Amino acid sequence: MRFAYGLAIAVVGACLVPLVSPNYMLTIIIEALIWGIFAMSLDLLVGYTRLYSFGHVAAYGLGAYSSALLLLHFHMPLPFAIILAVVISSLIATPIAWVCTRTHGVSFAMLTLAFAQLGYAMLYRFKEFTGGSNGLAGIPRPAGPFGIELFQHKVGYFYLVVFCLFGSYLLCRSLVNSPFGSVLAGIRENEAKTRALGYNTRAYKRAIVIASYGFGSLAGALYAPFAGFASPELFFWLISGKVLIMVIVGGAGTLIGPIIGGIFFIFLENQLAEITDLWPLIFGSVFIAFVMLAPQGIWGLVTSTLNRRRAPAGAGPDPEDVSGASA
Amino acid sequence: MPLLECIRLTRRFGALIAVDNVNMAVEPGEIRAVIGPNGAGKSTLFNVITGVLKPTDGEAFFNGERISGLPVHEVAQRGIARTFQLTHLFPQLTARENVRIAAQARLEGRWAMLGGGKVLAQSRRRADEALEQLRLTRFSDTPARNLSHGDQRLLEVAMAVAQAPILLMLDEPTQGLSIEETERAVDILRQMLAGGGLTVILVEHDMEVVFKLAEKITVLHRGQVIADGTPDEVKADAQVQSAYLGGFE
Repeated sequence: MRFAYGLAIAVVGACLVPLVSPNYMLTIIIEALIWGIFAMSLDLLVGYTRLYSFGHVAAYGLGAYSSALLLLHFHMPLPFAIILAVVISSLIATPIAWVCTRTHGVSFAMLTLAFAQLGYAMLYRFKEFTGGSNGLAGIPRPAGPFGIELFQHKVGYFYLVVFCLFGSYLLCRSLVNSPFGSVLAGIRENEAKTRALGYNTRAYKRAIVIASYGFGSLAGALYAPFAGFASPELFFWLISGKVLIMVIVGGAGTLIGPIIGGIFFIFLENQLAEITDLWPLIFGSVFIAFVMLAPQGIWGLVTSTLNRRRAPAGAGPDPEDVSGASA
Repeated sequence: MPLLECIRLTRRFGALIAVDNVNMAVEPGEIRAVIGPNGAGKSTLFNVITGVLKPTDGEAFFNGERISGLPVHEVAQRGIARTFQLTHLFPQLTARENVRIAAQARLEGRWAMLGGGKVLAQSRRRADEALEQLRLTRFSDTPARNLSHGDQRLLEVAMAVAQAPILLMLDEPTQGLSIEETERAVDILRQMLAGGGLTVILVEHDMEVVFKLAEKITVLHRGQVIADGTPDEVKADAQVQSAYLGGFE
């Protein structure tokens, strides 16, 4: 019930944003929401399965280039291009997941990084196709389906992104609360035991890597047509680090936390960049502060504060109840 | 036909032969203890049977089907549940969720990615039963890491029971327990096994526990089976006396 109220407030609040936000702000807001989707997709790996991907930019880049190429060459309605881009990216992610999940820990992180770098290198290798360092410019936002022109305008695009954000959040939430999701928790806690119980843990890890890349590619697929261009920067390894920081600062293993972390950092970056060139320094300081002082992240701070405020009003001082609610 | 049959099962680690030509047949419904001094190869034998380790030589059959060499999860899927010598749990999850994940392991819908409420409810029911059997119901909502060592050992047994196994393999369930805790654990285990139907292989150090629970005993010494029979036969065996039981009676 509490969840339904929270969701309703969030949806209504989001829908009101274009009415109050100045036009230039809306650009930043859209970008922030796209990063929210991206960070949430990584949370499936980092927060729920304890698989540290250092190459999550591959998902973003794959999605961005897929949707860009589809729109440039096939001129299909925007929503179709985005869906198809996600499908293509997930298919490409399948062999990547196959290889990466044969390893653990640092090797997993390094392999994901290697695959991301491979993608980056291929952008330069297949220049005719990808535009090389120039990237792809002039990505159209065709109308449709049924001639709907809504998404061609910024406000319409905002609603598309909001829809994708809430849709993928609800899907991810259902995923982590499903029987499948509980196996991910088992893998996170003790993979050997999970295997001994009869779960083919490698297959589960493969599936969640593909799902995570799928949701991550949705973010990329939304970004390219919005920006109107796709450049190798969307495949650059620094982005993998940035999104990992967003997940940890937002609160890994909560889905909402990383969304907030993504939005928070894009705003922070945007505001600071206007004031000083030293914004990466502040970015880094915020990260260090969170890791040292609040490892549970922004959302962890919010929920623990809420629970503390609710506890005295609750049924009684049952310490087990409190620990259960925050777990 | 024996439920589990090991034929010349062997596992070497370099020059060390941890499990050496072990022949063992466990009949359905039997409660069998595997005993032997430290380093006798008891846990290694468990690990070879359950697929954690590949045998260097020999074979193991379960229900007439060859299981040696199968991956761990495949062995478990055939109905063999085990506990570990060192407690293996999901420390951050509640006791109930630990057992529920175990109960879900052999259900059809365990792969459900969206929803899956039916599987969750079904496995939860089974988990609550197993928790009650091991008298852990009052800890259902406690994170596993907050349980006492003794209750953690029992929780792992509850997980194995919730898997609805045909063969239950317990690796030193009373390891590290105090005398009182051991008595309590043995009581609980005995009641659980009195229900019948389960075939059990038990590795145990504590001879009292063994004689209270087991109907058949296999004695390992330096990887080899040196005796195999009823508790009385094993007690009377001269070789066992010198190798292991010295001073017990």
